[in-house]
Amino acid sequence: MDSSGGKLETSSFSLLFELDMPIEGFSSNWAHCDKISTYAARMIGHNRRDSLLYSNLFSSAFNELLETVFRSHHGGGNFVCRVLRDGDTDRIELTIPCDEGLGRFYTTSVASLSDVDREEKYRAALLSDAPLTPGIGLMELAVDYAAEFKISDFDGRAIRLTTDLILEESDVRC
Amino acid sequence: MLKIPAPAHSLRFDENNQEFSIIGALRPQHDDDMRNCIEMLRDAVSRVRGTLYINVKRLVRLNNIAFRALASSVVAAATERSDLKLVIVTSSVVGWATKKFRPLMQVNPRIVVEEYDADFYPGQAFVEDSDIIGLLRTQTNMTWRHEQGILPRHGLKPGMAVADICCGIGDFAVLLHKAFAPGRMVALDHSRPSLDYARGVAEEFGISGIEYVYGDASEMLLEDNQFDFVTCRHALQVFDRPELILKELFRICKPGGRVYVTNEKNSHCLGEPRGESIQWTYNEVAKILSYFNHDIEIGPKSRRLMMDAGFSNVRMESFMVTNMDGDPQDFADIITAWRDLFAGKMSQMRGDDEAFTARFRQGFDDHIFAALHPKGYAGWPIWVASGTKPL
Repeated sequence: MDSSGGKLETSSFSLLFELDMPIEGFSSNWAHCDKISTYAARMIGHNRRDSLLYSNLFSSAFNELLETVFRSHHGGGNFVCRVLRDGDTDRIELTIPCDEGLGRFYTTSVASLSDVDREEKYRAALLSDAPLTPGIGLMELAVDYAAEFKISDFDGRAIRLTTDLILEESDVRC
Repeated sequence: MLKIPAPAHSLRFDENNQEFSIIGALRPQHDDDMRNCIEMLRDAVSRVRGTLYINVKRLVRLNNIAFRALASSVVAAATERSDLKLVIVTSSVVGWATKKFRPLMQVNPRIVVEEYDADFYPGQAFVEDSDIIGLLRTQTNMTWRHEQGILPRHGLKPGMAVADICCGIGDFAVLLHKAFAPGRMVALDHSRPSLDYARGVAEEFGISGIEYVYGDASEMLLEDNQFDFVTCRHALQVFDRPELILKELFRICKPGGRVYVTNEKNSHCLGEPRGESIQWTYNEVAKILSYFNHDIEIGPKSRRLMMDAGFSNVRMESFMVTNMDGDPQDFADIITAWRDLFAGKMSQMRGDDEAFTARFRQGFDDHIFAALHPKGYAGWPIWVASGTKPL
């Protein structure tokens, strides 16, 4: 499901970084989200226009994706994380072990990111007293980072969530 | 399995400035992990009157769990304390922060989000003037003739991780990159126009290994202990609190690495013939810069500043850029630009009278005369200091 079209159908991306590990290993420690996102951001930010600013933004966006996976995955199978680049666009491909229910969660969450009131929904979720919705990270990426999403390869055991980010060209910095 | 520590952060409350600061990374797994931070924030709220500043300028990483806990406490404080204004101070250097916090302004009008930015350097407007870029390039070319030989004496070697802080238009970073082939080179400045120019220069010269970074030299987001050699040239003298920059240079330098600074003592500029007029004018240069909170006399004070900042093995030397370094017209061009800046824009801004400005200007003209005179000599002294960050 492609939430907004764009580059998601093209395949001119080069692989920058790939991580393939049992999902149990990834989900054994919350700090993995921070460490992986920060490390990857530092590695791929050095040749951007402003390496430090880029790394801060990429780390923030990537971390939210990883925290989403940490909270919403199924046991068994490997978690595969690939970071690719095509010019200004950085792509994060996550293969997430999922059962039918979690597959529906990701599919529905991504579909709702096309809603016209997505920003209002995101701000309301962020400031409400209710438990934080598991899709908050995806909402943040769509609203604050103008991310584009696509879900593919859902086979009942895993899905692939693809996120495209253009961090230097978007209005991310206000 | 290897134990991985949670992202580190520190919390500070400065009662004197009514400022609560959060520094580092806040990416907790559970709401409960925020308890200490929230309790400290509540305590800060209870102890202030008027305005509480919540400083997140150096809060580099924040997840939604932490944001929600913070936001909820700030909104509660604004609701409960109708006498209180809460100012959240963000930094554009962090990138995501202003956008994240700004919606809180719509929740309660007494919550204000301010992005701390270009007011940092009192003299930044002078430096960004497009007229001065040519001058800065000529200055670097003339100082580079000396510094190329001086830098190795202060510890610079090929392959090092180097940071040039307050890099300005980036020409020194390019020259250093070409001559010393650093393993990594970061060039940081607080002026976006200067960085844009710097990127252009690097591209024009086919230099691709320099990371140009926007940032505040007194509160950098670069991590601790990263660089073997840190340079900061002609910058301490245009900042009203140089010790803050030195503290940051110390922090980002690796233990055993060295920090290298250059500064002037403008009243020691000299020339002959017409030495007396030249001397008077450069004494006045020191005074006018002091009026704008710049200590252009800082050069010989560098040794003390370095030692006070904790550096060991401090080395110091000086060199004189003169009209005999290459084409005398280059030297004359520098003085012409100084004349137009100091006896022009700055003198006017200070409100100097015509008689003063004429005499002030004359000294520069006499310095140019000395520089171009076939038997003349004109000089501009610069002090170099470097020190080791102890192991």
